[in-house]
Amino acid sequence: MALIMNYQDVALMSVLTIKRRKMKQIFLILISTILLLAGCAKKEAPKSWQLAKTIQIKGVNTIGMAITTEGLWLSDGDHNRLVLIDRDGKQQRTVDSLERPMHIASENDILYVPQYGNDEISVVDVNGSQVLPLKDSLDAPAGISVYQKEKAIADFYNHRILYTKDGTNYISFGKEGKAEGDFYYPTDVQITANEIWVADAYNNRIQVFDKNGMFLKIIGADQKMNAATGLFVSDNEVFITDYENDRVLVFDHEGVLKQKLSEGIEKPTEIIQDNGLLYISNFRNSELNIFAWEVTPEGPETHDHDHDHDHN
Amino acid sequence: MKKAMLLIITILLVVPTLQAQKTYDHFEVQVDGLGCPFCAYGLEKKFKEFKGIKKVAIDIETGDFSFNYPTEKALTLEAVKQQVVKAGYTPNEGKVTRYDGTVELLEPIKEAMATDAKLTVASTFVAGNCGMCEARIVKAATDIVGVANASWNKDTKILEVNYNKKTTNMDVVEKAVAKAGHDTKHHKASDGTYNELPGCCAYERVDY
Repeated sequence: MALIMNYQDVALMSVLTIKRRKMKQIFLILISTILLLAGCAKKEAPKSWQLAKTIQIKGVNTIGMAITTEGLWLSDGDHNRLVLIDRDGKQQRTVDSLERPMHIASENDILYVPQYGNDEISVVDVNGSQVLPLKDSLDAPAGISVYQKEKAIADFYNHRILYTKDGTNYISFGKEGKAEGDFYYPTDVQITANEIWVADAYNNRIQVFDKNGMFLKIIGADQKMNAATGLFVSDNEVFITDYENDRVLVFDHEGVLKQKLSEGIEKPTEIIQDNGLLYISNFRNSELNIFAWEVTPEGPETHDHDHDHDHN
Repeated sequence: MKKAMLLIITILLVVPTLQAQKTYDHFEVQVDGLGCPFCAYGLEKKFKEFKGIKKVAIDIETGDFSFNYPTEKALTLEAVKQQVVKAGYTPNEGKVTRYDGTVELLEPIKEAMATDAKLTVASTFVAGNCGMCEARIVKAATDIVGVANASWNKDTKILEVNYNKKTTNMDVVEKAVAKAGHDTKHHKASDGTYNELPGCCAYERVDY
């Protein structure tokens, strides 16, 4: 009996041992699966800006762009007007009788329009248009940025930036030249939370200043740009149109080059980001290129992407 | 009442006729330094100071600038040249066709080459970037007595010249092009001239 019991015990132990082994195996498989999945998640396909769509904006030679709740506004420099288009590029309406409108801006659905031809900044809303009062005179205003009460104006022929914190009292910084803080025909400007970014067009670089007009840094001077005409600064990236070289360069805020966009781009003048998409205007052939943040295709198309990077 | 009506009708008929009689001279200038719409609009802006200017046309790629101006104001090519300089650009060639058909040139016509001259074709490397560079390089080459024509390709950077071997040679051409601000295969432009080039023409310097 004892012997039988012993056999029973042995049999029971064997069963338990086998169960433990199976449990161990299952446990190991589970751990392996979790680790494998985690590994896959870390090796997510690299993403970059990729051309998603090109829209023909017939008869419009775009210099600047701004977004309001109505849609995307284009300043048509050659035809002295603003053109409102929808997301498909269909023209909705125009604001006419301007004199060479350049890099426009918007804030709370109000459009700010620097007019190169008459040295005025027009403020356009649903009630009509009025001239932005300035004590100083401009000579060919090429760009404007509005950030809450703050405004900055790129004063092309005076080689300087006018900036106001309170919307009334302006400071002026910069002079003609090539040194740090100098400008050679600035064409675009953007105010962010802590800085003022300037497309220093014919010095072929971006310059960054604090809100007292003090020089902070230069970006892109080593990229052999040829007329850095249009600028856009997002939370993580800085975009600049390189007009003569038919490309847009993408930097991080420290000036590290992250990507060169060239597909579909020809004589670009302006770039703007909205809803995760980049809109890049071609001046001469009246095209609007839309880039999306997508998985970088494998193969030769990836040549213009230098580094993978995070994007919010 | 009838008299008044007749007077109004007469005025309405006469005024358009008088306006139609207003005549214009046609100016054409090849301008160095236009690279982008900002430059082109800038040139236009400075010429707005010429009251009565009409039909302003600017080709950004080639630098060809033209406009009409009232004949009665007898605008000179010299005044046009000075205004282009004031706008920050360099006038190359210029021409005005007066209303009566007479033509005046900004620069004297180059001495015509004998039609039976035997031409030699040669090419060389010239550094440059854009359409403005092209205009400047070709002008520097074709201004030389003995050069029949020249062309420069901004992609290949090759200048091709047809010239009379008895009158000039490629070394003279290269020197003239370098003097205009462009490094060539054998001659370097001075730093001063290079720095004076418009921003869009700031090509990568040649290492010798």
